Amino acid sequence: MSIINKLLNIDQRIIYAALFIALAYPILSPVMLPMDIQGYSQQAFDFSDSIPEGSIVIFEGGLGAATYPQGGPGMVVQIYHMLTKGVKIVFFSIGTEQNFWTVRAIETALGKLPPGTPAENGVDWVHLGYVAGGEAGVGSLVNDIRATITSDYYGTPIDDIPLLEGVNDASSFAAVLWWGGSEGSMPYGIRQISVPFGIPITGMSTTNEVPNFSPYISAGQLQGIFGGVRGSAEYEYLMRLPGPALGQAMATNFGGLLWMILVILGNVFYFIQRTRGEE
Amino acid sequence: MILEHFFPMPDVVTGFNITMRSFTTIVSAAALMLGVIFLTISHARTISQQKSGWYYSIFYMISLLITVGLGLLSVRNENFLWIYDNMTSPTGAALYSLTAFYITSAAYRVFRARNWNAAVLLITGFVVLAMLIPIGGILLPPVVPLGEWFRSYPSSAGFRGMIMGTSLGTMGLGVRVFIGRQKEHLGVREERRGVE
Repeated sequence: MSIINKLLNIDQRIIYAALFIALAYPILSPVMLPMDIQGYSQQAFDFSDSIPEGSIVIFEGGLGAATYPQGGPGMVVQIYHMLTKGVKIVFFSIGTEQNFWTVRAIETALGKLPPGTPAENGVDWVHLGYVAGGEAGVGSLVNDIRATITSDYYGTPIDDIPLLEGVNDASSFAAVLWWGGSEGSMPYGIRQISVPFGIPITGMSTTNEVPNFSPYISAGQLQGIFGGVRGSAEYEYLMRLPGPALGQAMATNFGGLLWMILVILGNVFYFIQRTRGEE
Repeated sequence: MILEHFFPMPDVVTGFNITMRSFTTIVSAAALMLGVIFLTISHARTISQQKSGWYYSIFYMISLLITVGLGLLSVRNENFLWIYDNMTSPTGAALYSLTAFYITSAAYRVFRARNWNAAVLLITGFVVLAMLIPIGGILLPPVVPLGEWFRSYPSSAGFRGMIMGTSLGTMGLGVRVFIGRQKEHLGVREERRGVE
C-alpha cells in the first residue's frame, strides 16, 4: 500500500485525537483570536437593543441539556441585556426539560446583574413554566394566558403576579425572544405570535439550524438570529460581558480549522491517488 | 381555526378556538404521561422476558424511579436539580459533541470532489464553514460575503420551497385524516385495509 493510500485510510482514532486536542487546548489554555460579528447576530443585537425601556417581552426558553452549553451563555446575556435596559420579561418553555434550563439561565443572569438593577420576580420578570401542546400550546398561551395556565413556575397564581396585571394576550408584548436551540420551534413564534399580533421576533438556534430560518430573515419576519456558540460569543462580545461562550468560540476556531485542513488534505491525497491511477 | 388566520372572526368563534387550544395543551400533557407509562410497560416486559439487552431496561427503571420520586417531592428540590446539573447536562452535551468527531472523520474520508456535483457541494460547504468559524472571515475575507450570499439566496430559496412543500403536504395529510382516507395513525396498516 502506497503512502497516499495509507494516509487516505488513516485510523479514525488519530483524527479523533487530533480534534480532541484542537478543541481542548483553547479551553484549557485560553487563546483569544480576533473575531468578526456576523450580519445575523448584529441584526439580532440591534433589534434587542432597540426594545424600549419599560416594555414587556415574551421569552421562550427552549434550550436543553445538549444545547445549553452553546446557547445558554447567549441566553444569559439576552436576559441581562433586557433587565439592565428596564425591559420586563415573561418567560415560558414548550419543553419539560427546557423549563429547567430556562430557570438556570434566569438565575445565572440575575447573579451577573449590576447591583441595584430592578429584577424582582413577579414584577420585572415572571416564568410561566412549561406550556404543553407544542405550537397549539403557544397559540393558546398568547391568546389567553389565564385560560392556559393558572400559576407560574413557582406556584404563584397568575392573578397575584403584578407584572401580568392587565396582561392576558400577546398584544401587551413589544417583542418575542425565541431561544429555541435545536427545537426547530422558531416558526411557532412567527406563526402564532409575531405575524398574528404584529410583534417583531428574534432569537437563537443551533448553528446547523440557522439556514432553516434564513428565509424568515430575508422576508423580514425574523429580526436576525444568534447562531450556536458563535452567536452566544458575539452577544457576549457586543455586550462587553465576557463569558464561557467566548472561550468555546475559540475552541470552534481550532476545531473548524482542523476540519478545513483535513478536508483539503483528503482531496489533495485523493487527486494524487487518481493521477497515479491507484485504486 | 384555519379561517381565523386569514379573516377577522366573530368573538364567539375566537372564544371557541381558544377553548379548543386549551384542550390541546391538556391532551398533550396527558399524552406525555401516556408515553411514559407505555415506555415503562415496554421496559418491564423486556426485563420480565429477559430479552436481548434487558439489563439496560433496569437502568431505565432505576432512573425513572429516582427522577419521578424526587420530582414528586418537588421539582425545585436541590437533589432533583442536581440530576439536571450533574447528569443530564454533561450527558446531553457529550452526546451532542460526539457528532463533531464523527463529522470530522467522515468529512476527511468522504467529502471529496469525485465529480462536478460533489465539487460544488465541497466548495459550498467549505466556504460556509469558513464563514461560520469566528476567525474564518479574518483569514479568508471573501468567504464572508460569499457565504452570506449562499445562505441568503440559494439556501433560503431551497428552504423556502421545503417549507411550502411540507406545509402543503401537512394540509393534505390533515384533509385525508378528516375524510378518513388516512388511517395509519389509528394503527390500520395499508395492506390490512386492502385485505379488508
